[in-house]
Amino acid sequence: MRKVSYRDALREALQEEMAKDSSVFIIGEDVGRYWQGAFKVTKGLAKKFGDERVRDTPISESAIIGVAVGAAITGMRPVAEIMFGDLSTLAMDQIANQAAKLRYMFGGQIKVPLVIRMPFGAGVNVAAHHSQSLEAWFTHVPGLKVAVPSTPYDAKGLLKAAIRDDNPVMFFEHKLLYPIEGPLPEEEYTVPLGLADIKKQGKDVTIVATLYMVHKALAAAEELSKQGVDVEVIDPRTLVPLDKKTITESVKKTGRIVIVTEDCKTGGVSAEMAAMVAEEALDYLDAPIKRVAEPDTPIPFSPSLEQFVLPDEERIIKAVEEII
Amino acid sequence: MPRLSLTMKEGTVVQWFKKEGETVKKGDLVVEVLSEKVTYDVEAPASGVLRKIFVEEGTDIGVAEPLGIIAAPDELIEVAEAPEERVIASPAAKRLARQHDIDLTQVKGTGPKGRIVKEDVQKFLQEQVMPQLREVIPLTGIRKTAAERVAISAREAPHSTITMEVDMANAAKLREKLKVSYTDILVKAVAKALTEHPIMNSTLDEDEIRIFAAVNIGVAVATDKGLIVPVIPNADEKPIEEIAQMLEKLVDKAQRGTLSKEELTGGTFTITNLGMYGVDVFTPIINPPETAILGVGRVAERPTVSKGEIVAKPIMKLSLSFDHRVVDGAPAARFLQTMKAILEEASSILH
Repeated sequence: MRKVSYRDALREALQEEMAKDSSVFIIGEDVGRYWQGAFKVTKGLAKKFGDERVRDTPISESAIIGVAVGAAITGMRPVAEIMFGDLSTLAMDQIANQAAKLRYMFGGQIKVPLVIRMPFGAGVNVAAHHSQSLEAWFTHVPGLKVAVPSTPYDAKGLLKAAIRDDNPVMFFEHKLLYPIEGPLPEEEYTVPLGLADIKKQGKDVTIVATLYMVHKALAAAEELSKQGVDVEVIDPRTLVPLDKKTITESVKKTGRIVIVTEDCKTGGVSAEMAAMVAEEALDYLDAPIKRVAEPDTPIPFSPSLEQFVLPDEERIIKAVEEII
Repeated sequence: MPRLSLTMKEGTVVQWFKKEGETVKKGDLVVEVLSEKVTYDVEAPASGVLRKIFVEEGTDIGVAEPLGIIAAPDELIEVAEAPEERVIASPAAKRLARQHDIDLTQVKGTGPKGRIVKEDVQKFLQEQVMPQLREVIPLTGIRKTAAERVAISAREAPHSTITMEVDMANAAKLREKLKVSYTDILVKAVAKALTEHPIMNSTLDEDEIRIFAAVNIGVAVATDKGLIVPVIPNADEKPIEEIAQMLEKLVDKAQRGTLSKEELTGGTFTITNLGMYGVDVFTPIINPPETAILGVGRVAERPTVSKGEIVAKPIMKLSLSFDHRVVDGAPAARFLQTMKAILEEASSILH
């Protein structure tokens, strides 16, 4: 199978859906023909589909999302981009109070088929305003779906499914994932929202990881296999809806779970998954649930301090060893 | 728990003579305790009410640990309740234990910080395939000491046992004449034989064989609480009548559990007699740290051949177990030969 980068896989998804459905359009800062996306995901799309369908906007996140919500409820399928997910704060009313609630409050008479793509995450030395992992905020708002792809295959399949979904989908793209390459089929496919993927089979410990942490978890699993510990790595792929079954089935098999996410520990995505496992599979746990997450701190600008706060293989291995 | 001997580390509460709430006077016997070798009645150190019993009957406790509290009837006593021991077990282990009706306090945890994990319960379940138990007897007091000592002996001393027949005709006559027992005669005979074979009267201490100057013969006595070995010191120097008197007293005290520490220590060689049960030959375990032990079988009329004639004679078989690190078979056999000669020419016991 051909190898394609995460960035290019996303672009393929956009291109295929735009070609298939004329109501699909892109809107965001610097996504158009002049800059072609801060991370080059929309490269070439304006040239191909025209400036009407790949719209550059002023620097106003509330305007981008406000316009996109309006377009969505009037029959379009916008794919909005917030250049840095951190700045979703500026569009929070449009996301949490409008996009998430309109379908419900209008008794189902309208739909909100909106995708909000957000490059985010730490590790590239861009300090506290441009490095956060804010998935948990959006999982807490009923009406929003939250996609967290870790591989090119999942990125393409999930983005296509998100564009076709009639509800708003928050689409998280970790900055460090863009250059990562992976196999991508020639033929068309989608990845359904709400279906986890077992990235590595194992029988001793379950590691649930998301986004960039999936790759850290797989590296840790390989290291642990040298010590004779057989790790199963599960990627939920979407946080809302969460594939509880795949996670709990794995816990029933291994009896042990380590949850690895890049976001802050308190009230984080890992907290929700830990609570879910405690509620639904407690009697199968043979050790306390472990979480590896960022300490409750803004991401430091200093590269060495940034590396210090981010979860890594060493911390994952230590967490596993503590419950084996 | 009083210290009844220098080496005592823990004792067993045998019996409480008083109940909780009962009035006691200073000097009253309150509780009977048992060390490895002796029992002892603990007197009330003060008058008052036995307010609290800490140690139940049949339970072991370390020396100097409190057995109970005697206080004035209205005196405020603070008894720290032992914190309830919480079983740390994983939910998966608990679930499995529930399914199989297992008491988790019986399961040893091997997980982090001693947590009981599923695998521990699974292992426990496998072990449960054992036959059902009728009762469980805690290993305490004399039984516990004996268990430890025979295990040490069997593990450390390579045992070899040799046997020899002895014609007890003359010994039997002597027994009638002096009104002594075969055991008395054997104690004296062994003491004499040991003076001729001092190597058998020794102990192995790392890289030294230490031969004892004194010949102190231990005699194994079966009591309802277990085997106990009072000692007759300097048996080689004592006339047989004195040995007989001493032994009678010691056996009586052993049965009543009132032997003193002095009467139980210092042995250099042990005799064990199973003849009264009809046993001829057996393989005794050496009483550590001694070098050898003589097992005594029954005296029975047996056909023997003498000058071409079959003659019935009272025959006894001796079983000598010895520590092969200290002596080889030949010197041990020579010791038995001497024993045989002494017993068959019984009059030599008298001098």
